[in-house]
Amino acid sequence: MSMFGMEPLVIGDDILDIGSRKAVDRYCGNKAQIGLSQDLLMGRPGAFDVPNVKDPALYCSSHFRSTCGTGDAGQEIKFAKGTTTLAFKFNGGIIVSVDSRATQGNYISSQTVKKVIEMNPYLLGTMAGGAADCSYWERRLNLQCRMYELRNGRRITVAAASKLLAGTMASYRGYGLSMGTMITGWDETGPQLYYVDDDGTRLKGKMFSVGSGSTFAYGVLDNYYREDLTLEEAIDLGKRAIYHATHRDAASGGINNLYHVTKDGWVKIHAIDVNDMHYEFEEEKRNEMSS
Amino acid sequence: MSVMTYNGAAIIAMAGKDCVGIAADRRLGVQLTTIATDFPKIFQMQPKLFVGLAGLGTDVQTLKNLLEFRMNLYKLKEERDMSPKVLSHMLGKILYSKRFGPYFVEPIVAGLDESNKPFLSTMDLIGATSEEKDFVVSGTCTGNMFGMCESLYKPNMEAEELFETLAQALLSSVDRDAVSGWGGIVHIITKEGVLTKELKGRQD
Repeated sequence: MSMFGMEPLVIGDDILDIGSRKAVDRYCGNKAQIGLSQDLLMGRPGAFDVPNVKDPALYCSSHFRSTCGTGDAGQEIKFAKGTTTLAFKFNGGIIVSVDSRATQGNYISSQTVKKVIEMNPYLLGTMAGGAADCSYWERRLNLQCRMYELRNGRRITVAAASKLLAGTMASYRGYGLSMGTMITGWDETGPQLYYVDDDGTRLKGKMFSVGSGSTFAYGVLDNYYREDLTLEEAIDLGKRAIYHATHRDAASGGINNLYHVTKDGWVKIHAIDVNDMHYEFEEEKRNEMSS
Repeated sequence: MSVMTYNGAAIIAMAGKDCVGIAADRRLGVQLTTIATDFPKIFQMQPKLFVGLAGLGTDVQTLKNLLEFRMNLYKLKEERDMSPKVLSHMLGKILYSKRFGPYFVEPIVAGLDESNKPFLSTMDLIGATSEEKDFVVSGTCTGNMFGMCESLYKPNMEAEELFETLAQALLSSVDRDAVSGWGGIVHIITKEGVLTKELKGRQD
């Protein structure tokens, strides 16, 4: 059996074998074949069980979409999603600020979701879109980054890490995955921020906001962002932008988790309930008006 | 998104000992975007008669105006106030008259009748009325509201306790619904008068 000519996937008794040695043997037959190592199998189309229909991609993207907002209104199954996440680069590093709400249709399924995925001490990924999609693929990316580190004796660059993720997303294009994430970290070229999304888009930039509440966050960010912000000002900006988004967007809310990426890795700055922020800012406005 | 969840709403009304309470959230949104946090959904039709309208915002406003008009006409013709039961039946008929092109509203009628006995009723968008003795709910998170009411409600509560119960039931229900909330308003109607209080709710 040739290395690249795989047999069509047989669905049935092998649902528990994905990723196992048995699955590897089934795929490449001859174990002595070089190059087709186990971790490269997952993330390749066909490595996941898909519905046993003529066009699995079409079926998945019409019945199992985890799209933002109300795109899944016609579906039986509504996945957890809805969010505001943002990250921006400034002279002191990178600020990553997110909310913590997950919604399924109109139901708020959780107010305490961790949308910043701490992949390793120097890489952070954010979650927007389908909660399961983001958390699974970013944990997967963490595994790939660790393998890179072990094989090459040095840390992976943020550019390479984001490219791995973008490549995976591109290969699952059309299957209805929903993921809008920002991969950020500090490597030998300095602080880096990349936006990666479910159709394989990968963009390098200084400021991004992703999710149903991103438009509100952009309004605040664009107004006050400067490259020479001090750390306190940058933290305040990240906090305010998320607060405004959670106030106006129904699918965002809960707690604001804020991280700062420095050359020694990331640091979690705070986890503040956005409702408390509302009354703090209201007080501030009142004081400003009276002075 | 369904037309009934387009703007978002949550209304609860409960009966106590010689008093009724009606509470609603304050949000007006357009799907997921919040447009206003002071949108009225409960309207005082008479000193001891309130109507709560949950559903499409434009129909809430239209129906409120239509009800006021019909009430005023009734008062002029009959030279007496409308009782809650009559209002409830009239509202049911108005809704059914639009059976094949309905108002997208599910109203609640709450008030004290001539002998100051509590009256509660709710109906669906085409006028199927149901009178209840304990509590009625309407809006986008009725599942949540029913759960809260069933567990918190006790019969024959005094006005103070009724207020607390209504407030807690409403706030906890809307905190699990993305399209309702952003504060609340509660009216407690007793034979002495009406007590209105605003609730400090989560603003996310």
